[in-house]
Amino acid sequence: MKPAKFDYIAPETLDEALALIGEDSRPLAGGQSLVPMLNFRLAQPARLVDLERVEGLSYIEAGSTLRIGAMTRQAALERSALVAERWPLLHQAVRLVGHAQIRSRGTVGGSVAHADPKAELPVALTALDARFHVRSASGARTLSAGQLFRGVLTTALEPDELLVEIEVPALPPRARTAFVEQARTLGDFALAGAAVVLAPGYQAVALLGAAAVPVRAHLPAPLDEIDDPYRRALLAALVDRAIAQAS
Amino acid sequence: MTDDDRGGWIGRAVARREDARILAGESCYLDDLPEPEGLLHAAFVRSPFARAEIRGVSVLPGAGTALVFTAADLPGFLPVRSPPGVVTAQAPHPVLAPGEVRYTGQAVALVLAASRALAEDAAEFVDVDYEPLEAVVDPARAPELLRFERSGGDVDGAFAAAAHVTRARHAIPRVVAAPMEPRGILARPEGDGLSVWISAQDTARSVAGLAHALGLEPERVRVALPDVGGAFGSKGTPAPEAAAAAAAALRLGRPVKWAEDRYENFLAAYQGRGMQADVELALDAGGRMLAVRARILADMGAYLYVHSAAPPHTCAMLMCGAYDIPAARVTVTGARTDKVPTGPCRGAGRPEAAAFLELTVDQAARELGLDPLELRRRNLVRAFPHATPLGWSYDSGDYERCIDRAVALVGPERRSDAECVVGTGVALYVERAGGQFEEARVALEPDGRVIATSSAGPHGQGHETMLAQIVADTLGVEPERVEVRFGGLAGTGTFASRTTAMAGSAVLLAAQRLEREGGTEAHARFESDLVFGSGAYAAVVEIERATGVLRVVRLAAVDDAGRIVNPLLAEGQVVGASVHGLGVALMEEAVHDEAGQLTTASFLDYSLLTAAEAPDLRSAFVQSPSPLNPLGAKGIGEGGTIGVPAAVGNAVLDALGGRHVDPPYTPAKLWRALASPAVGPS
Repeated sequence: MKPAKFDYIAPETLDEALALIGEDSRPLAGGQSLVPMLNFRLAQPARLVDLERVEGLSYIEAGSTLRIGAMTRQAALERSALVAERWPLLHQAVRLVGHAQIRSRGTVGGSVAHADPKAELPVALTALDARFHVRSASGARTLSAGQLFRGVLTTALEPDELLVEIEVPALPPRARTAFVEQARTLGDFALAGAAVVLAPGYQAVALLGAAAVPVRAHLPAPLDEIDDPYRRALLAALVDRAIAQAS
Repeated sequence: MTDDDRGGWIGRAVARREDARILAGESCYLDDLPEPEGLLHAAFVRSPFARAEIRGVSVLPGAGTALVFTAADLPGFLPVRSPPGVVTAQAPHPVLAPGEVRYTGQAVALVLAASRALAEDAAEFVDVDYEPLEAVVDPARAPELLRFERSGGDVDGAFAAAAHVTRARHAIPRVVAAPMEPRGILARPEGDGLSVWISAQDTARSVAGLAHALGLEPERVRVALPDVGGAFGSKGTPAPEAAAAAAAALRLGRPVKWAEDRYENFLAAYQGRGMQADVELALDAGGRMLAVRARILADMGAYLYVHSAAPPHTCAMLMCGAYDIPAARVTVTGARTDKVPTGPCRGAGRPEAAAFLELTVDQAARELGLDPLELRRRNLVRAFPHATPLGWSYDSGDYERCIDRAVALVGPERRSDAECVVGTGVALYVERAGGQFEEARVALEPDGRVIATSSAGPHGQGHETMLAQIVADTLGVEPERVEVRFGGLAGTGTFASRTTAMAGSAVLLAAQRLEREGGTEAHARFESDLVFGSGAYAAVVEIERATGVLRVVRLAAVDDAGRIVNPLLAEGQVVGASVHGLGVALMEEAVHDEAGQLTTASFLDYSLLTAAEAPDLRSAFVQSPSPLNPLGAKGIGEGGTIGVPAAVGNAVLDALGGRHVDPPYTPAKLWRALASPAVGPS
């Protein structure tokens, strides 16, 4: 299908972009989910604000925390030696996002803001207790994963807000991580998945497929509220496997 | 005379000459064709309901200058033809829905504009007044659209005398063919008729279908095929949308193009499979099969395409499989559900027959406490030609050799531990291929080239490579000197794994005639009865208890397609068909909900296996030449789709200790089966 008519604008600065987004606009951040939705006419925004050319939104920087610009390509995250070494969970998760072609166009911020409950990056970032830095023309705020992810394809972002940066705290000393999922085929959306961070005196798990948003918990993982017995069993097995891989 | 004496090109693994062009992106598919002046692009208004009365269609002002056509403007129906003995109700597919819609996605109105995007915009302003009606989705509750009965031998006597009767019920869901290039047509009025480019399997059936739908003499419909990006059976006859586009072009005197998108292909392209069967197998005390009875219920959907009856007919006729069963009775009921129609999809009735029979044979072995291989060996057809009680004649084969090779290649395994259950399954198949006729012309050019022209319609198989080998072998030239062309000759079509046996034999005869009679050109027409390929497939599967996830540990494919012209291309067909068949076995299922809505209308919800999931596959050939054509060839394009689901099915049921599960064998189903009580004896 072809998208319904829309206006297209590609600002070059963040301030311009913030001035353009609003009720009838959708930011375009790689387009790996939004463009199919446009083509199916499930999304019919009056205006697309393409963030492709906005300066200063694509970077991976590490100090005491990891800071990822929202327009950073998933492929760049995947190829970052720094990320693989110090935040291996992100490396483990991003490799499972779609196919190579999708990761070379798709962005980290786009995946987060799209909030697909089957997406890997929101789950990994939830396990890592990431902070999400948001800007609007009138101000800025920072959200936790629990505050950001509200439901299926739904976040706490207001129409005039843009996710600009994701900040990931350092892992506890001697932490080990694992991301495992069950998908029909390599690159397909996962049916269920689990991200774990294990360190002496520390454990965190985030679940994919347990609810409409990533579920963060301590071990043992809270699976009792999942109605479908198969999904419950699958998640339990995936959590076990993730723990085994991270141990 | 040996192959080497004749140049030795037949039987050699020559690389595909098609690939360099395709891999370089130089193919020209339908949507790549240069657009003629004044071209209009088509989009369709499709029914959101599975069943509804159409009270009226109105075009709102928002449609602008787009042209809108309904069944009142473009009446007509696609042709229907029935295999021998099949009785069908009157239900041809209308070009556009006249007065009622009978499946979700059925085309109601054609919208033409200067681009596809504009046509889609305008389609939103075509207001169709529907009166929704209750949809019939369950084939068991649907009216009858088709009936076929065939009986041979003393079936009732055999069942009365049987020491043991195995009764089984199997269901195979609908699937989509999912060719990489969806369907499409570019129709241009020319002279007294139409010139048409169409993404189709062959010209013969495209001409016939369009001429019938448009009410034109076939001579007035000139069809050419661009490169075709796969079909898997789904482009064997023109789509109603293609006929509508052609009819509009004729009416307007302007060229019209319809290049469908993936969503349309999911919704409206005919689907495959969708059959269930009650199978009864009568055996004597020694494990000899005395008779088989099968009642097959086929979910035909809303209308009959020209070849819709072929898959259930083929399925029924193959219900004796590779076994020397003296008596058989088959009944097919085709149900008219309010769903998109069904038609051939790679295998087309053969995979259903193999699964229905081979899963039943394994069940019989379990019930009798016999080794399933031993039960098979006791009952194999061993003398050819073999007339089945249902009236087909198997031309040649060596079924036991196929079993032996498959078992040796797969390495059977069976175990059960705390983590996994592992099982092995073997399945035999016999498939019909060939039949009817094809034509060929072979000409010598002054510059030393040889031009071979065939009536076949290639869409990915490698026909150019294969036909060039046959000509080179016969004339004693290098294949590089042979140029292969298609079109302009009469033929039956490219389907049912028939091209090597039929078009290949026609080319062989033309080349032989040229060699024998001299001159610069020779023509040949080759006609034959059906040939019957066969094979044995075997699978070892491992199912994880905790998740139900199935892993194919090893898969063995042994195919007897008669004489193999090009083992490289043949193995390519086996690999492609096997991975296709494995996807069908493990996860493909086109699902309609209780309201008749297709809930698997994109690749988000319908997955195909990828290279990453391709198993350890071991392929081998047994070559029992067919006596019915000069090449001795049969067909190889479908064996994997036939053998794999049955072999994997038997392996799954072996691993599950006989607990019953119908395909697709998804992790959720397997987990639930493992959680349920075991059945015995196993």
